[in-house]
Amino acid sequence: MRTLIALTRTELRLLTREWAAMLFAFAFPALMLVVLAGVFGDLPDPEGFGAAIPSEHYVASYIAIPLGALALVGLPVMLASYRERDVLRRFAAFGVPAGAVVAAQALVSALLVLAGVAVVLLVAAPTYGIPTPADPVTVVAGFVLGTVTMLAIGVALGLAASTARAAQAIGLLAFFPMWLLGGGPPQRVMSGAMVSVADVLPLTHAISAVRDPWLFEGAATGADLLALGVWLTGALVVVGMLLRRRPQ
Amino acid sequence: MTTTMTQPTLATAPPPPPGPEPAIRVEGLRKAYGGRTVLDGLSFEVDPGEIFGILGLNGMGKTTAVEIAQGLRSRDAGSVRVLGLDPERDPARLRPLVGSQLQSSALPERLRVGEALRLFTRLAGDVVDWRALADEWDLTRLRRSAFVSLSGGERQRLFIALALANRPRVVFLDELTQGLDPAARQATWRLVERVRDQGATVVLVTHFMDEAARLCDRLGVLQDGGLIACGTPKELVSAAGGSVRIAFSCERTADLAGLDRVPGVIAVAHDGRHVEIEAQARASVLVAAELARRDLAPPDFTVTAPTLEDVFVSLTQGVAR
Repeated sequence: MRTLIALTRTELRLLTREWAAMLFAFAFPALMLVVLAGVFGDLPDPEGFGAAIPSEHYVASYIAIPLGALALVGLPVMLASYRERDVLRRFAAFGVPAGAVVAAQALVSALLVLAGVAVVLLVAAPTYGIPTPADPVTVVAGFVLGTVTMLAIGVALGLAASTARAAQAIGLLAFFPMWLLGGGPPQRVMSGAMVSVADVLPLTHAISAVRDPWLFEGAATGADLLALGVWLTGALVVVGMLLRRRPQ
Repeated sequence: MTTTMTQPTLATAPPPPPGPEPAIRVEGLRKAYGGRTVLDGLSFEVDPGEIFGILGLNGMGKTTAVEIAQGLRSRDAGSVRVLGLDPERDPARLRPLVGSQLQSSALPERLRVGEALRLFTRLAGDVVDWRALADEWDLTRLRRSAFVSLSGGERQRLFIALALANRPRVVFLDELTQGLDPAARQATWRLVERVRDQGATVVLVTHFMDEAARLCDRLGVLQDGGLIACGTPKELVSAAGGSVRIAFSCERTADLAGLDRVPGVIAVAHDGRHVEIEAQARASVLVAAELARRDLAPPDFTVTAPTLEDVFVSLTQGVAR
């Protein structure tokens, strides 16, 4: 724990010097929220959005952008960069296991996700308003499980990628389809094939697990939480294997 | 002193008297990457408090050997004990006792020198005060400098300081002076001597012969997976039995008559002004005595003994052939 705290504090300090690298995760969701929620407005659209007001749909969906961007791009690039530049070896030679550095990075990313969500809500509040969560406990549960799952997937990507450039390419390739299929247009306007693909992707379930109980009381989130649990288990198995096989 | 002698000429030396328990004992170490065997039965011992150098051509497994000794790589076979502990099975107990400067490693680019020292001393349990460490290694003025802005010499100084942040009993230094200018190299050598003077055992991996000759109490030459020679720098040079070169000026060929019959002289060459004699090391005195007997005292009389570099090239190329 002492090691994890020391590493996390250092990583947070470093982050303040490289804030520009995280700008995407903060600015992009706010920008997209203003544009898309503005386009679709706050008039009911039962054909596209069902019972949800379009702007509320996007406010609840777009907290997933900082989550996806940080978990699928920011975290893997940082981890791959540490491996590529032998920073992990430097720590390993001092008796700090790669797992501790990875955990510190994931913890910092989790804090950044919270900050990113706060930015989305701060932008949404004066423009479209923030819908009152219908089932706040389930929203928090979905957000926590979704965040942990996505960060575990990000760690697996970061440990698997051979270079930071590769991690960035893989991360962007994973992020945009996941975001567009899971948190972009409502599934009612997608083709059957797109819906089938979206239903497999973890970010879709991370978004649904937050958005549905946020907007609708009694929303069924069991399938989303189960899917996230499966993804989390798979990601942790891969992380464990990668840490054993290529620890530095 | 405990010495593993693998070179035939040294192996005839009498067995050493019983000494202290070695700080490092490696026996029959084997390691292969894919189908390529890098270490094939490597054995050596390092005594407490000495600087032990590992020499070898590129790709001969020097880094692999010391990384296995630090528990950073697994071994295929053999036994490794560092301070009595197996690095692969007891990494948690061994790690606080070992300091390490890796051939290839880095810190986060924006991490400042002071932050790095503070972080590593904290990770080590604050057994060393980071400010004192900064003072000791002349890093205080660089306290606010980011790692990315440091020169090669400054980085090496920082890495040595970090390697000592846990007050280790054994320090591994892998190609410490690679890429440094001559002044920075010499400054780094003094730092290594200070590490040893503070009581640590040092394992130094290098392919700079002047560095090895200056710093190391003993050396092992690694070739084809094992040590082909091991001993003090002087032992290696004398055991190699290389000839010396005696040179002086002499214009009269008659003065040189019979010099080739001096015991130990191998060849005499004279170009009309300069003489060059190839001889066994002990013959240089006899040649000097013979010249004196002939009332010849050339002011430029010089004897050039083989250097460690000559011995290294001879050993490694001999094996390669």
